[in-house]
Amino acid sequence: MSTDDLIDTLSTNLPQVRRLRPPLLRAAFWLMLAVAVLSLLAISQGIRPDIWDRLQDRSFVVTLAGAVLTGITGVIAAFMLSLPDRSRKWIALPIAPLMFWISHIGYQCLTNWVSFDPAGMTLGETTRCFATLVFTSLPLSVALFLMLKYAVFVRPMIVALVGGLAISALTAAALSLFHVLDASILIVMWNLGTAVFIVGLSSLLTRRYIGHLRGMPFGNIG
Amino acid sequence: MTRDTGSPGRPQLRLVATSAEVVSSPAEPDSSSKDVDWSILMARAQAGDAVSYRRLLKEIAPYLRSLAARYRRNPQDIEDVVQEILMTIHSIRTTYDVNRPFLPWLTAIARRRLVDQIRSQMRRSAREQSMNGEEDVFADPRPNSEETADQHRIEEAVAKLPPVQQQAIRLLKLKEMSLKEASLISGASIPALKVATHRAIKSLRDTFFKGSRS
Repeated sequence: MSTDDLIDTLSTNLPQVRRLRPPLLRAAFWLMLAVAVLSLLAISQGIRPDIWDRLQDRSFVVTLAGAVLTGITGVIAAFMLSLPDRSRKWIALPIAPLMFWISHIGYQCLTNWVSFDPAGMTLGETTRCFATLVFTSLPLSVALFLMLKYAVFVRPMIVALVGGLAISALTAAALSLFHVLDASILIVMWNLGTAVFIVGLSSLLTRRYIGHLRGMPFGNIG
Repeated sequence: MTRDTGSPGRPQLRLVATSAEVVSSPAEPDSSSKDVDWSILMARAQAGDAVSYRRLLKEIAPYLRSLAARYRRNPQDIEDVVQEILMTIHSIRTTYDVNRPFLPWLTAIARRRLVDQIRSQMRRSAREQSMNGEEDVFADPRPNSEETADQHRIEEAVAKLPPVQQQAIRLLKLKEMSLKEASLISGASIPALKVATHRAIKSLRDTFFKGSRS
């Protein structure tokens, strides 16, 4: 197909499209969704019993604040980076809170998959941790993917990793309020793994989509 | 046409170029007025105005071609990447904010597609091996009995291509015609023949590459 033919194809039967809302507003929508999901989790699981003692611990508060700020700045950065004309420098936004967060990150959830007690072998706290993080981060990942799916044409890997980091941070912050064990490392591994998987899948689908666009007869491109 | 939503720091809108100006416009936009015009055309395209959209794509194509020519030498590669950029613009036209300049948005997309094309070509060339002529062992075609089998395989693979690509590859590669001759015979334009041949070779390469691995 020649370029002129392609232009004719693209401009035939052109539908009206809705311009995206400003990135900060869309980031705020996603953060509200995250608050809703994490509130449901709080209602279903209950706040950990020693929460007041933990809130007296300066290191716990710093980690919690670091995670929340990493989540908020990370999701803002992801929405900014997803737009072609915004600077790559937005990637630096979550770095400072991330430093706070990872300086106190915990790995306990990696070490307690199965527990042995007099009654026999049972599923450990890690398994419960893992289930919680899957149920929390999966809807948030899906929502973020749907809101940023166009980024696959622009900066797919950076957006997915920064978005994955934001989801990890918010999930870790919420889980530290519900679970006795610190699950941060497990959460980061899961979410960044999910992000890379989503990017791989999206890149594959995008290549097919572009091939499909090229082979489309006139008037069928929306 | 006047700009309905202008931000304070942005230049006033001038008339969008006429069709004649579009044809003779320089490939390189050198003023912010071009940016404003394109911004307005894109805003109209987002509202579903097909005429404005067509005009925008026609106007930006030479600019994209000149941008691509800075990094690519092969005209076919340039045309391919221009088409990729146009399709990307089409797919993510919702991301353009009319309150922001158009050119940074456009060039960011163009650079991304260019980088992707260069990367994928580097990956492809790393897999391919250049021929140095030592493969022609026999001067007499008769002892080259393997050639007949190869010809059958090529014929089979060509027969599986879409009709346009089949015709292009038969005329240009198997019958070794020039682009002009092939264009006269087939009635297709030279760029269309080039694109069809490029795609046919890519499909054939995929077929044989997969075939040799399995």
